[in-house]
Amino acid sequence: MQAAVRMDEPELIRAAQQGDQRAFEQLVRSYDQSVLRLATNLLRSPEEANDIYQEAFLRVYKNLHTFRFDCSFHTWLYRIVSNLCLDALRKRKVRREESSVVETSDGPLDRMDAVPERRADSDPERSYESRQLKQRIQEVLGGLSPRERAVFEMRHYQGMRLRTIGEVMGTSEEAAKNCLFRATQKMRAALGDFV
Amino acid sequence: MTCEEARKNLPLFLYGELSFDEEELVEGHMDECSACRTALAREKAMFRALDEAEAVPAPQQLEESRAELRRRLSVAGRMAQGAPLGGSGWWDKVREGFTIRFHFAPGIAQVAGAAAMLALGFFTARVAPNSFLGNWHSAGMLDPATSRVRYVEPLGSGRVQVVIDETHQRVLSGNVDDQGIQRLLLTAAKDPSDAGLRVESVDLLKNNSQSAEIRSALVYALEHDTNAGVRLKALDGLKQFAEDPDTRQALTQVLLTDENPGVRTQVIDLLVQRHTDAMVGVLQELLEKEDNGYIRMRCQKVLQDMNASVETY
Repeated sequence: MQAAVRMDEPELIRAAQQGDQRAFEQLVRSYDQSVLRLATNLLRSPEEANDIYQEAFLRVYKNLHTFRFDCSFHTWLYRIVSNLCLDALRKRKVRREESSVVETSDGPLDRMDAVPERRADSDPERSYESRQLKQRIQEVLGGLSPRERAVFEMRHYQGMRLRTIGEVMGTSEEAAKNCLFRATQKMRAALGDFV
Repeated sequence: MTCEEARKNLPLFLYGELSFDEEELVEGHMDECSACRTALAREKAMFRALDEAEAVPAPQQLEESRAELRRRLSVAGRMAQGAPLGGSGWWDKVREGFTIRFHFAPGIAQVAGAAAMLALGFFTARVAPNSFLGNWHSAGMLDPATSRVRYVEPLGSGRVQVVIDETHQRVLSGNVDDQGIQRLLLTAAKDPSDAGLRVESVDLLKNNSQSAEIRSALVYALEHDTNAGVRLKALDGLKQFAEDPDTRQALTQVLLTDENPGVRTQVIDLLVQRHTDAMVGVLQELLEKEDNGYIRMRCQKVLQDMNASVETY
């Protein structure tokens, strides 16, 4: 059976559960851009973000038959993605490899140079200040706990509601709110001189 | 509501995560307190700065991730035929065969290097604990040349899980005209981690430069390779196309920008075999910055032959 042109999400999921590859691909395409964005923002490394992307959708592919519509597909998928990202962040903490700078034969190279900024500034002075600010933000983000970081990213950059974030992270809305509160407090304390 | 309470609630207020009542209280306080309105303006400025610091993946990255996933799913689909979805065996093979980690390779080289290593028959696989024990017993120890501990994870009760990246080697042989072999050579010709490999690969490819794909790879190597030896090999392969407009354009660019005088010397010898009006400006521009005596002499000779000035005014 092939996926019809216009299927709603539950139909797509059921078709994919029956082994319809096109339905699965359509499902992936509905979410993969935001998954890659979340992983890129959280890990600040294009290579690791791609690893998360691959691992997440392969897990979805393998386990889709267990999806019982108890929660939304979005929540289920993000649970997988956020767990993978949290694992990666925790392992990185253990390895003490927060820096995105790596040594190459051509000297030190920041892997984040491969990740475009959201907006480039044409005024050199503003651009310099903006780079400094961005660097400071990266430092603060690197100092957040993995959970604070994940909650902040999902709320600020993905626009997810705290209730959904709580469901994704397997915790209460209140706990997610506390995490977000701590993250923004740290941001405010660290960025006080800049903004 | 006090100022302290209002300010504490500002981030959640901006995220729209306060209850209706709490929001009313904050808004009421803002109407009355100019200091807190200033604090709110600062909070908004911080939010804007955070917005601008978002790392957005390049569209090309999304396409590459999608293509890689399609390849993996296609293998998964083939391997799953006859096996129920979610069954064991086939899945482990898909996952192990594709869980490739190249983060220990340096910098930008990782992506291209990963492709090159894979194509040439090297692959790094995550070793599952069961197979790890087998390898441990048979190998006796970890070979640092082919293995690397990726990470360690305590499992509790004194147990630990050690994940190892291992490199395996596979040997392929075939005719240099074979398309599969050519594809591997094309990948190897771009391997940023091994200049020697690139020299050998470009040397082998240059004899088949009738193919548009190979010619384009040679032009790329000539324009971008950091190793002069590779660039000279690529140039060798492009000699027979010195009349081709696209190749001439690439040669002209290389003449003006390549740092290696050996490369520039060979390029100018190739270009001046045919005098075109377009060359006058290029040679005049080159003369302004060229310090190699031979290249200057060739430039001046051609310009004189073409009755053009050797200087620009």
